[in-house]
Amino acid sequence: MKVKVKLFATLRDGRFSEKEFEIEAGSDVELLLKMFNLKHEDVPIIFINGRHADFDTRIMDNDDIAFFPPIGGG
Amino acid sequence: MNDKEISRYYKQTLLPLIGADGQELLGKSTVVIAGCGALGTSLANTMVRSGVGNVVIIDRDYIDYDNLPRQILFDEEDIRRGLPKSVAAAEKLRLVNSSVNIVPVVADLTSSNIEELFSGADLILDGTDNFETRFLINEACDKMKIPWVYAGVVSTYGMIYATIPGETPCLNCFINNIPAPGSFPTCATTGVLNTAVSMVTSIEATEGLKILMGRKSAISEKLIYVDVWHNITKNFVIKKSEESLCRICDEHKYELLKGETGVKAVSLCGHNSVQVTPASLIGVPFEDLALRLKKSGEVKFNNYMMKFTIPGYEFTIFPDGRTIIKGAVEESEGKSLYAEYIGY
Repeated sequence: MKVKVKLFATLRDGRFSEKEFEIEAGSDVELLLKMFNLKHEDVPIIFINGRHADFDTRIMDNDDIAFFPPIGGG
Repeated sequence: MNDKEISRYYKQTLLPLIGADGQELLGKSTVVIAGCGALGTSLANTMVRSGVGNVVIIDRDYIDYDNLPRQILFDEEDIRRGLPKSVAAAEKLRLVNSSVNIVPVVADLTSSNIEELFSGADLILDGTDNFETRFLINEACDKMKIPWVYAGVVSTYGMIYATIPGETPCLNCFINNIPAPGSFPTCATTGVLNTAVSMVTSIEATEGLKILMGRKSAISEKLIYVDVWHNITKNFVIKKSEESLCRICDEHKYELLKGETGVKAVSLCGHNSVQVTPASLIGVPFEDLALRLKKSGEVKFNNYMMKFTIPGYEFTIFPDGRTIIKGAVEESEGKSLYAEYIGY
């Protein structure tokens, strides 16, 4: 199935900002993290199609997945 | 409102979304601004000029020259006078609006003082620079049923999210647990653009004003992400998990508020040092941290410890995150430096 992955803020450094990927049906968010060599603590904020998601959320065909690092400055 | 107030706020009350009733509500409100750095100075400025009746400004720090590009209420004379941030901010803002009761508090916001400092508040605005204090605010606000607005800013981007306890999901519903120390960029290691601060605080303060005026339907229930350099604004729906309960806003378990966990700073007598121990000793990624810290000072590390040196301070960072900061005297100074360079 086809999914669109968007990385925000520092996650883009050395990676990409937006890209389409072909992944196996039934995959979850965890699989994407492994693909991009990201750890849980790197991306505590995840959205699928504009709605909050978790590491074990199942991904569906044509999903739009956004990853954010913590933004803590002030 | 008296005649002077009617005249002063005329251009606000003219807006149908504020009106005389909204202005009256602002005048009767109490806002606590937690942290008076880049976010906090801008928030305090807006709240006082808007005519919020009582503004409490809490901060543990003193002003330095590297604050001046962003922290809009401070100037070089404040640094020469050695003023704490909250005191300097209050001095400036009293000249702006003498009818507002401005209360500066020079303190580190902790589990032992937060409930007393938040008592009577209608709204808490996040001006902090670390996640542990934000999670502590989240617990206190859930317990005390006080609305609050989270905001964070780094580089050219930031996030804003308003929580109404009992009505909307909380911070813990979309950031699972306090991010690990040293695992994310801070303003001191990545930099920050002053216009990103203005953009974030404009949205944060506006959400705050909506809450104070009871304009519930106008309050954003979404997390707002902005990037001022790349002209990006995005909204994301925060939904509560269907499988598990939130330990804060469903189960009301307040570990930070009870003081059961949290960052600890101890002054090491006779050593001119402060030891800072993070809440969870889960490990600091030395290689990633070194890459960020190299932009600010000298970094050396092996498997057992990292030495990071900046003018006036030497950090000895251990793999579990425990850090001794030579040159720091006050415990609050140690926590501030830890938040600024390592992040917690």
